[in-house]
Amino acid sequence: MILIEWIQFIAGIIFLLTGLFVFAVQVFGVFKFNYVLNRMHAAAMGDTLGIGISLVGLIILSGWNFASFKMALIIVFLWNASPISSHLIARLEAMTNPHLEQHCEVEEGVTEHIWEDEQKAIIFADKEEK
Amino acid sequence: MRIIAEHPWIFISIFLFLALLLICCLIRAIKGPTIADRVVAVNMMGTIVMVIIAMLAVYMNESYLLDICLIYAMISFLAVVVLTKIYSGVYLEKIANERKEDRS
Repeated sequence: MILIEWIQFIAGIIFLLTGLFVFAVQVFGVFKFNYVLNRMHAAAMGDTLGIGISLVGLIILSGWNFASFKMALIIVFLWNASPISSHLIARLEAMTNPHLEQHCEVEEGVTEHIWEDEQKAIIFADKEEK
Repeated sequence: MRIIAEHPWIFISIFLFLALLLICCLIRAIKGPTIADRVVAVNMMGTIVMVIIAMLAVYMNESYLLDICLIYAMISFLAVVVLTKIYSGVYLEKIANERKEDRS
């Protein structure tokens, strides 16, 4: 019985430490890259993989009860919510940065459908000056 | 769990490490040149705080803290949605004002 408890404890702590490693890599990546759309690539890793592995470790530690069901619910909610928030942040960046093509390759007409008319006039006037 | 209560230093050192990561995220939120940078940093801080709350629930053996964690997840998602809406609106208003000044 004591052996089973120790195996459960060690497995949970190993999963938890793997989650912490993923969080450390996430923070390192956010400081390493130098543009927002690159940084988001590193930041989205912790939202799905980091919290997933950490909460799996906590589920193993807490055993089979109602608390572990709630933790699984948190994982499922975050896996749905994190791509939506990443999409909204990338859309904000593509909308407010008129010089997006200096940082990454932009296909002609990809970002135009999220611009308003007045914004379009400014951006096209900008391009004609070049 | 019994072993966690007998060896509290394991969880306390993990808490300290996560607090260090939170401070790094805060530095990113202050330094970030664009608004999208700050929103990304706030989103990361929300994720790390969620892990801290869930670990606290296991450490103190109180399962009601997990309800707080679930509500925290929902509110941090709502905060990102509202912040992006507000800042795109602010940007469009600024552009409209500049155009109006150019015309007059």
